[in-house]
Amino acid sequence: MNNAIEVKDVVKKFKRGKRLRKREIFAVDKASFDIREGELFGLLGPNGAGKTTLVRCIATLLIPNDGSIKILGKDIFEHSLYCRKQIGLLTSGERTLYWKLSARENLKFFAALYGLDNKERDKRIDYLIELLDLKDVQNERVEKYSSGMKQKISLARALMHDPKVLLLDEPTLGLDPQFSRFLRDFIKNTLNRKQKKTILLTTHYMDEADELCQRIAFINRGKIVDCKTPYEYKRDLPHSEVLDLRCTGIQNSDALLKRLKSINTVETVTLNTTDGITNVKMILPRAEPMLSDLIELIRQTGKILAIDVKQPTLEDVFIYVTGTRLTENTAEFTPQGEQN
Amino acid sequence: MSFKNDLRIVWAEFKKSVKIWISYPIMLVFWAIAPFMWVLPFIFQGKALVGGLSSAAFKELTGSPHYLPFVLIGAMVSTYIFSGLWGVGNSLREETYWGTLEYIIVSPTNPIVVLLGKTLAEFVYATVNVTMQALVATFFLGLDLTLAKIFPVFVIVLLLLIGFYGFAIAFAGFTLLIKEAHGWVHTLEWVFYLFSPIRYPVEVSTITKTLSAVIPLTYALVAIRGIILLNKNILHLGKTILILIIMDIILLITGYLTFRYLERKTKEAGTLAQY
Repeated sequence: MNNAIEVKDVVKKFKRGKRLRKREIFAVDKASFDIREGELFGLLGPNGAGKTTLVRCIATLLIPNDGSIKILGKDIFEHSLYCRKQIGLLTSGERTLYWKLSARENLKFFAALYGLDNKERDKRIDYLIELLDLKDVQNERVEKYSSGMKQKISLARALMHDPKVLLLDEPTLGLDPQFSRFLRDFIKNTLNRKQKKTILLTTHYMDEADELCQRIAFINRGKIVDCKTPYEYKRDLPHSEVLDLRCTGIQNSDALLKRLKSINTVETVTLNTTDGITNVKMILPRAEPMLSDLIELIRQTGKILAIDVKQPTLEDVFIYVTGTRLTENTAEFTPQGEQN
Repeated sequence: MSFKNDLRIVWAEFKKSVKIWISYPIMLVFWAIAPFMWVLPFIFQGKALVGGLSSAAFKELTGSPHYLPFVLIGAMVSTYIFSGLWGVGNSLREETYWGTLEYIIVSPTNPIVVLLGKTLAEFVYATVNVTMQALVATFFLGLDLTLAKIFPVFVIVLLLLIGFYGFAIAFAGFTLLIKEAHGWVHTLEWVFYLFSPIRYPVEVSTITKTLSAVIPLTYALVAIRGIILLNKNILHLGKTILILIIMDIILLITGYLTFRYLERKTKEAGTLAQY
């Protein structure tokens, strides 16, 4: 099978600071991966990891400092027009449409940008409005729609010219669970399975990546750390259990983290405190033999609220591979549009 | 994409812009009234200083003793150019606010074609405003604007605007990169007010007279006033028309090249959709 997207050694640097203190930050650092035609490929990483920057490079919205990107075998800058015709872009956020226009008027405008004549345009809009269940609201101004409805129209816009490649940048961010569920099903079943579209999906929701993607590349601090199927990630994790503890009253979390890390059988530990509740996550071969010692250790500094022993998820794999939680913000420099 | 497609995009952009304007009716009223509001203090000031709206000293500088028609013409022509500067120059900033700019740039369309649609919309919008002003100036303020004078005036205005829109397209690229339009537009406005004969004849000072020579607006205003106030024939304005055509060519080419350069710079800097 041919590659739909080829990303090779892409580097994108941004300047940060003023005058003498100016320095370069690597938003994307020698990123390489291929996406096969018809594949649903995930780019998974925490906020500020470089996902959006990479998508913008592929979409020709950003010019990389180095490296090459090909869409359906053609370089995106040498054949910019051809490549842009093959791409459909969907980003997160409500403000991507003309709020003073209706859904239909928005779609008509963007259809013109993709060179659709009036007959083609009306046929395509009717089809998309039917497909996304927008018939009843198609003539109302976008400003009256809910976030989910706006995202549906944005998706219709991305599909307007029936592109072969879809770039979906955090498409479910900020949507309520019902719309997120709809969108996930639509991406997987309609766009990928039925319409055979090649999809690059960026997300920091591990469930989403796990559920939808055939292969996933982990990205952290601009670098592609690994690229496998979700099954391969979990299979290759040399540990079988994850111990999750919710604690309160932890006085010195740094000291606790240090002590937990010093235990030989504990491979990875992360500690995260929010609103006085500390979540301790440990990856280890077997949790049960260690349990009483660990409880005793934590009790010395705080109170345990809950203990849970689980099978590893994709997030656990991510923590194991990168030492970073997906919910962390790893950005030194957050370029435009990078979600925080 | 073909020329037919480009025309379709220009038309789609024009329709979109008009629909968005119509959704803010209060702005239409504001822009129709505002250009007259600033004229009133000058009328009162003129009356207070020379006891009327005409003076011999003014005639020495302009060839016509009447101050009011001079200022009204300046107001109407400046409405055209400043709404163009605001409308076209700031239009991509508006797209950034709406969050739609990236979707225009990612499409297989040359953004210049979209800007042409915005220019057309802006031209129609300014023409409606200036027509309203001309009607008020003719029927209520005594401006002698006959039908025979409208065609040559329109030719001069069109020549002025072609160059000016070229400049505005470069300015659109500039705002794309620097993310700021208000300060620059206001600065340019005051440069034009100071060094071109919008509100007063630039002959009052050697400095203003010298610097006004590099501003196309100066030639256009002199020509338009010649037609309306001094009943000059357009055939006598051949030199002015030639200067405007040369400036149009220079400004259109530099405007296009500047925009493409700044668009690339913006993509390199990664600030395309930044506020």
